Amino acid sequence: MEKLLVSPSPHLHTKTSTKSLMRDVVIALLPAVVVSVLFYGWSELLVLGVSVASCVLLEYLITKYLLKGTCTIGDWSAVITGVLLALNLPATTPWWVVFIGAVFAIGVAKMTFGGLGQNLFNPAIAGRVFLLISFPTYMTDWTKPQGFIGNAVTDAYTGATPLGLVSEGGAGAVEGMDYMNMLFLNIGGSAGELSAVALLVGFVYLLARKVIRPYITLSIWATVAVFSGIFWLINPAEFTDPLFNLLTGGLLLGSIFMATDYVTSPMSNWGGVVFGVGIGLITMLIRYFGAYPEGVSFAILIMNSVVPLLNKWFHTKKYGR
Amino acid sequence: MLKTFSIGGIHPNDSKISAGCAIEVLPLPSKVYISVAQHLGAPANPVVAVGDKVKAGQVIAEPAGFISAYVHSSVSGTVKSIGPRKDLAGNNMTHIEIDVEGDEWADGIDLSDTLVTAIPEDNKEILDKIKMCGVVGLGGATFPAHVKLCPPPGKKADCLILNGAECEPYLTSDYRIMLERSKEIVVGAAIMKQVLGGCPAVIGIEENKPEAIKVMTAAVAELQASAKGYDGISVMPLKKKYPQGGEKQLIDAVMKRQVKSMGLPIDVGAVVQNVATSLAVYEAVQKNMPLVTNVLTVTGDCLPMENQHNYKFRIGMPLSYIAEHAGGIPEEAAKIISGGPMMGKAIANLDAATVKGSSSLLYLTAAQTVRGVESACIRCGKCAEACPMGLEPFLLQKYARNNMTDELEENAVQDCIECGCCLYSCPANIPLLDIIRIAKGDVIRIIRTRK
Repeated sequence: MEKLLVSPSPHLHTKTSTKSLMRDVVIALLPAVVVSVLFYGWSELLVLGVSVASCVLLEYLITKYLLKGTCTIGDWSAVITGVLLALNLPATTPWWVVFIGAVFAIGVAKMTFGGLGQNLFNPAIAGRVFLLISFPTYMTDWTKPQGFIGNAVTDAYTGATPLGLVSEGGAGAVEGMDYMNMLFLNIGGSAGELSAVALLVGFVYLLARKVIRPYITLSIWATVAVFSGIFWLINPAEFTDPLFNLLTGGLLLGSIFMATDYVTSPMSNWGGVVFGVGIGLITMLIRYFGAYPEGVSFAILIMNSVVPLLNKWFHTKKYGR
Repeated sequence: MLKTFSIGGIHPNDSKISAGCAIEVLPLPSKVYISVAQHLGAPANPVVAVGDKVKAGQVIAEPAGFISAYVHSSVSGTVKSIGPRKDLAGNNMTHIEIDVEGDEWADGIDLSDTLVTAIPEDNKEILDKIKMCGVVGLGGATFPAHVKLCPPPGKKADCLILNGAECEPYLTSDYRIMLERSKEIVVGAAIMKQVLGGCPAVIGIEENKPEAIKVMTAAVAELQASAKGYDGISVMPLKKKYPQGGEKQLIDAVMKRQVKSMGLPIDVGAVVQNVATSLAVYEAVQKNMPLVTNVLTVTGDCLPMENQHNYKFRIGMPLSYIAEHAGGIPEEAAKIISGGPMMGKAIANLDAATVKGSSSLLYLTAAQTVRGVESACIRCGKCAEACPMGLEPFLLQKYARNNMTDELEENAVQDCIECGCCLYSCPANIPLLDIIRIAKGDVIRIIRTRK
């Protein structure tokens, strides 16, 4: 002891840091990553590798040479964007398309707004939607590449996502589809949609580690279930049922990992509930009446833009007021 | 389901390392420095002169206003000097320096251990004694106790809450007095309850102190069985959560009532006193003993077990004297705190002297206490989740950095209790409370000038 430190209270600090929170999100994504690599093989590894590497590298280059500020890649947030972007793409996406997605996600959606904490839109979703509009053929090519294990389960539906089938042929097109398969190994779609169980494991981990609060995710699920439930009860021949809607089209991936992004979701619990209801509603409107078979990405982006208003309207309950 | 306050709160490791250390009486030093400002309100006026002989327990400074308190000599000896000296906060304050000679006490003070359970009937006499003995709240704010025990006209106390939560990590002095002076605390509670018009009294203790809950419950039962005036006193175990011992939080936990913004506990019928204050009330009323001693914890993770202590000290003892007696300052100590790690003051050196409200000498290492580098707010909302007043620190700090006082007032910055939960919780190391504390001071000044 040479000189004593003097500072205002409090004198203790939590061990939780931005870095540890972000690392926890990456850990929560691991089950989904492992499943996607096992079933989509080398091509998925390539998509993941290119996506994560380019996101981290781009953030490094932009912070270092363009903004000339502190380098922020150590906080793991660029890794999350990379993993999420990869899981939102078909495993067959060419590497240069993945790279363009990363450029848009990090370069445009994140860093132009000022980096972590300042971006209005979720970078990974912004990247995905940019690619979906720019390269629709690559983004809807659901040919299943050779994985490290298994092939049989997915053969029957290769070539289209369940929601894609519905979009073309109505609810009857997926009649008899096995929900147990979807729960553990979904059929065709983005890499991250493969296994609902893997995503749910991640959700439980995030809740247990107190990384996220459950309100946003649960209100999305509830809205989708209620909305589709009503339509399905009225006309089961035309409209798909609630469970189908919950398990397909990236709804779990979006509601667990992307709608709950700190920066682009409301601060208060009630704001989060309204945010979630909005995402659920917009998703179902797009699915039932829109041109795209799924709609989670668009729904999240649209609701992202409402977050500043929700933060203004909804505040925490204050003591004695 | 145990009761607790309804909004926010955090769960830091409670680190009650010194809980097992029984209270030891510190030997007398050669000198004490007694501050005239050991209470909230106006500093007291010295009534002794240099060269005067004083006895322990003799008044040496008188209150200088309604919210002020008597100060007594804690030792017998000669007044050596009266003049400015640095206090715990590092401010110059008048101190009365006394050279210790022997240990002679003023007349009328009962120094025996005999428990006096019969409560005087005259409430005015009780309040006078509490005032004359310089009793102040020992839970942190050191508000003169007799003022709190006289509700303003039109207000009535529905419940006396004794604060035994000791929610600050590391501190164990309240815990030790609850174990070792349980009956005296209950007598103090019965006295205050009678003064307040016979409302029920609830002793709130956090569940991480099961032994204290047991001993206090037994003490209440025994006194209820053997003496008059002890009905309506009970012990309430509370869930462990910081800042349970905050006055507003404790009222919410025990009574399910919330004090309005800028209001006082008595507005919702609550009077909160610390268990240590209750002990001081007992000493004052039953023993004529002024508040000249208190119990202080010497602790820290970097302090060897044999150097952990709970000391009964005389006010005015220099901290350096206590630290030396406890085996010196540990090598790894980077910060020394007077008080708890959440709300206590970091002190620059050990020259300052103890005051009535001194509760600890806490050593923290650099690894424990050095703040991380501030990074961007990721809008995780953890500060708002932690705030026990339901405020939104992330928003307040933004307004504060831009001097937006209207918005700060609208968003209740004046309600901040400075518990530190926001800064503790922030993963981006944003100095939330540092910024909010300054803004709060500004806004409160604006509100006052408006009136």
